[in-house]
Parts: sequence; structure tokens; C-alpha cells
Amino acid sequence: MTDRNDQRGTWADRPVGKILLGSAFPALLVVAWWLGIRSGTAVIPSFSAVIGVLAHPLEIPPDLYSRSLAFSLMMTLIRLALGFGLGVATAVPLGFLAGKSRVVDRLFYPLVQIARPINPVVLLPLVTVLFGLSSLASVAFGPVDAWKYDVADQVQLAMVFILWWGAFFPVFLSTVHGVRSVRTSYLETMRLLGATDVQILRRVVLPHSLPEIAHGMRIAMGMCWLVLIAAEIFPGTRSGIGYMLCTACKTSDYQYTFAAMIVIGITGLLIDVAFARFERNAGHWQALER
Amino acid sequence: MPLEDLIPQLTDTAYSLKDVEKAFLSRGGTAVKALDGVTFEGPEGMITCIVGPTGSGKTTVLRIVSGLERADRGTATINGKDPATLVRKIGYLTQRHTLFPWMRVCENIALPLEVKGVPPEDARSQVAGICARLGLAGSGDLYPHELSGGMQQRAALGRLLASESWYWLMDEPFTALDERTRHQLQHLLIDLVRERKLSVLFVTHSIDEAVYLADRVVVLSAGPGRVAESFDNLLARPRNRLSQEYGQVMERIRTRIESVLGEEE
Ligand SMILES: Nc1ncnc2c1ncn2[C@@H]1O[C@H](COP(=O)(O)OP(=O)(O)O)[C@@H](O)[C@H]1O
Ligand SMILES: [Mg+2]
Repeated sequence: MTDRNDQRGTWADRPVGKILLGSAFPALLVVAWWLGIRSGTAVIPSFSAVIGVLAHPLEIPPDLYSRSLAFSLMMTLIRLALGFGLGVATAVPLGFLAGKSRVVDRLFYPLVQIARPINPVVLLPLVTVLFGLSSLASVAFGPVDAWKYDVADQVQLAMVFILWWGAFFPVFLSTVHGVRSVRTSYLETMRLLGATDVQILRRVVLPHSLPEIAHGMRIAMGMCWLVLIAAEIFPGTRSGIGYMLCTACKTSDYQYTFAAMIVIGITGLLIDVAFARFERNAGHWQALER
Repeated sequence: MPLEDLIPQLTDTAYSLKDVEKAFLSRGGTAVKALDGVTFEGPEGMITCIVGPTGSGKTTVLRIVSGLERADRGTATINGKDPATLVRKIGYLTQRHTLFPWMRVCENIALPLEVKGVPPEDARSQVAGICARLGLAGSGDLYPHELSGGMQQRAALGRLLASESWYWLMDEPFTALDERTRHQLQHLLIDLVRERKLSVLFVTHSIDEAVYLADRVVVLSAGPGRVAESFDNLLARPRNRLSQEYGQVMERIRTRIESVLGEEE
């Protein structure tokens, strides 16, 4: 216990220290940006132009075929939540099954190992052909009426699928491993208490494997974020933060490109911070378990 | 032995092992014998201590008696019944990894009640009573790793109490503790056995612990385990570690263990 307190005492672990250290390299980027502005190239927008875009997130860009910055971010986050959520919702139960049953494990193992290394972005062209432009709205309300549902129509199934792909494998594998590494003596204790399978799952297997599942989720989320931004650049997209970045590039409205990059960076950071916290909380009891 | 005549005959039998044999497959695939025909009885309402050198199969005996492991040959019964049919009647306590580290101490103690479906209100008051009895009041909201080793084992005893099991199988539960704490917990265990009429099978490699706790001592030979000697320990309680009789019983066990180790060489 004392060890942990001592470590907390170093300045690098205090909030101020963390912020100072963490902003060192971003500050260098800003300096590089400033140097770029001074060099006079047209590709690099001024601070004020970019801040202007960031300060008015609801404003529709005047000469850009894109929705507002806020709407773009919202679309991106909706796709992310759906694809990632489906990935987790399928990977965790299947992971539990595979972790518990040799039959399920043997059934899935080769498939998972073949499919896992395939970068989902590579699949995008193929998936787009398969799913076409069908969206959540076209599935729910039919292709004819789909356009009436603005948001749901822009959640393309192709994107959801590759996000699912990006999330499924890390979460599945970490769940299987987490379930397998539950200490036998804990399971035996529950058996001697006469616990049912459900009680064992809820009180022992789940809490014991949760830190590992949370770690898998964090990796998966990083993967999904990467994949999604790339997917939004793909033709056929009409919205999203990646779409905005790409479209602004084409029309040389670089202040939007820069604003989108900043939003992508900061959102990615915040998501990772949230998942890191989740992971830490899930494993709070592991600190001194040996 | 005039003492034996003064003390009533040890009562009914709780634990009964007959010619129990057990072999494990080694990594290379050959069978390694852990128990080679173990036979002994443990009386009801008393403490039976199994003493023996490391690797003599003490843990294996307990696992077979608990029903977690099956004997290859022979029988192990509790009160004449197959242990596997005695769910919830058997409490098992080991040296490490006993409490669930992700649950607070009070949740750990309440777990047997939760599993049984006791309403949370009732469970809470029962747990409070157990905590008070074991000197754990005020520690209920902590996590196990926030407790000292002695307090952790107290909490583990609390979980056994909450389970209302009568047959306690204990595998060196106090070995890792410092001497003072170990003596306190030994004392506590003896009190609990009296209060609850528990039948305890207690594994230890400490001769002193065996002499202090046991009503009956079973000495295992060096692996593969066989019963080298089994005798009733009739020293009056509370036992005085400094008394001459205490030293004599210790000597008896030590001599026996040394002789079985000598055989092995
Ligand atoms: N699960 C197991 N697999 C293989 N060998 C085992 C297993 N459990 C125990 N053994 C072997 O059985 C023998 C007795 O072990 P154990 O019962 O743990 O002895 P003790 O508790 O007296 O130290 C040892 O040689 C040990 O290596
Ligand atoms: Mg052992």
C-alpha cells in the first residue's frame, strides 16, 4: 500500500504534471504550424481561421459540401458507438462460451486467427459492394423512404460492419483469455458453496476477467477510431468528421481540414482516457494480488 | 496411559478414509503416486490434524475428502456419505487465494448467504454478528488486500461461519502468518469448534500447530503418502506449550516424521 502512495507522490503523476508533460509535443506541433504559416504556403491556414471554425461548431460551412462541424462529429460518434457496441455485444458472450467450452473454442479458433489480421479498411471496397449504400434507415424503413431519416440514413451498414470487425477480435480474444485465467481455486470455492453457473459467472468469472476485457475494449476502440476516419474518406459518404476533413482538402478549405484534424485528435484522446479509466477501475483489486 | 481412562471415548466418526489411492499424471505422461493406501478416521466435533513432510499428499487428502478430487481406489466419506453429495456442508480453507479480491470483506463473508438466496437484510445482520465475533468490526467495507494476513484469514473463517458448514477442511491456513497471529487464530479456531460443534480436518507441517490443535494426530509418511501413525492427543485444554507433556507429544511426532524421512533416503 505504501508503495502505491509513494508513486502517487511524484510530480509526473499529479494532474498539473500530467498536463504539462502531455502537452509538450502538441505544443511543438503548434510551433511547427506557426512556422508553416510564416513560410507563406497556401496549404496551411492561419490560427484565426481555424479557431474561427472551432468556435462556431454549429455553423454550416459556406462553400463546402458538408454539414456543420458538430453534426459531422455527431455522425462519426453514432457510427462508432453502433459498430463498436455491436462488436462488444457479440464478442463478450462468444468469448465466454469459447473460454468455457472446448467445442466452441475449436469451432472458432481457426476462423478467428484467419480473419483477425485482416485490416478492416482493406475490406471496405468489398463490403461496400456487398452492402451497397444500405443504411440503418433503409433497413428499418425501406430504401424508398430512407432519405427521410437524415441521421439513420447516414449510418451505412458497410461502415458498421467494418467497425464491428475492428472491435470484435480484440474483445473476443481478451475475453477468452480472461475467462481462461480465472483461478481454479475461486471456481472450486463457489462450487463448494453450491453456487449455480449463473452465480459463478456473475460473481467470479465476470469480475475476474473484466480487467482483461476492458483492456481488449480499449485496444478495439483505438482500432475502430482509426478505421472509421479512414472509412469516412471513402467515396459514398456524405457526412462525418473524416468526410469533412477530406472534402475540405479537395476544395482547398484547409481551415476545415485543420479543425477536423484537431477534433479527431482531441476526441480520440478523450475516448482513450475514458477507456483507460474504465480499465483501471475494473482492475482496482488487482493492484496487490499476487 | 492413565489419562485415557479419565476422558470419555472420542465420539462418532466424521471423516473416514479407507485405502485411498491417488496418482497424478506427470507432464511426461507417467503416473506419479501421491497417496498409497491412506486409511484413518477423524472424530466428529473435534480437530484431526494431518502432519507430514512436503509432498506427502496432505493437500491431496483434503481435496479428495472435499469431493473436489476423486480417489483412484478406496473410499473417503464424511459421516458415511459421499462428499460430493454434501454441498454447502463442507467448508474449505487454504493458505492463499481464499477471499475474492474484487469483493469487499463483508461481501466475501456474505457470499454463502447470497448464494443460498438469503434476503440481503437478514444477510447483513448475520454478517455484522460474524464480524463482531471475529474481531472484524470496522473492516467490512475494506477490500481483502487492505487487510493484514491475519485479518484476511479471520475474514475467511467468517465466510465459513456464514456458510454454516459443519465439516471444515483446512489446508495450512495459518502457515503464512507470524507466530503471535497464528497463535491467536489457533485459539479462535478451538473456540469456534466448541461453539459450533465443528468437525475439522486440519493439514499442517508444523508439529507445534498439530499438538496445540489436534484431538487426533495423523502422521503421513513422505510421498507417496501412507499413514505412518495415528493417535489421540489427550492433553488437557487450554494447552500449555511449555509443559512437559506438550513437549513429549511434539517429540513423539518429530521422531516419527524423522523415521519416515529416514526410510525414504
Ligand atoms: N494436480 C496435480 N498434478 C500432478 N501432480 C500432483 C497434483 N497434485 C499433487 N500432485 C503431486 O502429488 C504429490 C502430493 O502433493 P500434495 O498433496 O500437494 O502434498 P502436500 O500437500 O503434502 O505438500 C506431490 O508429489 C505432488 O507433486
Ligand atoms: Mg499442501
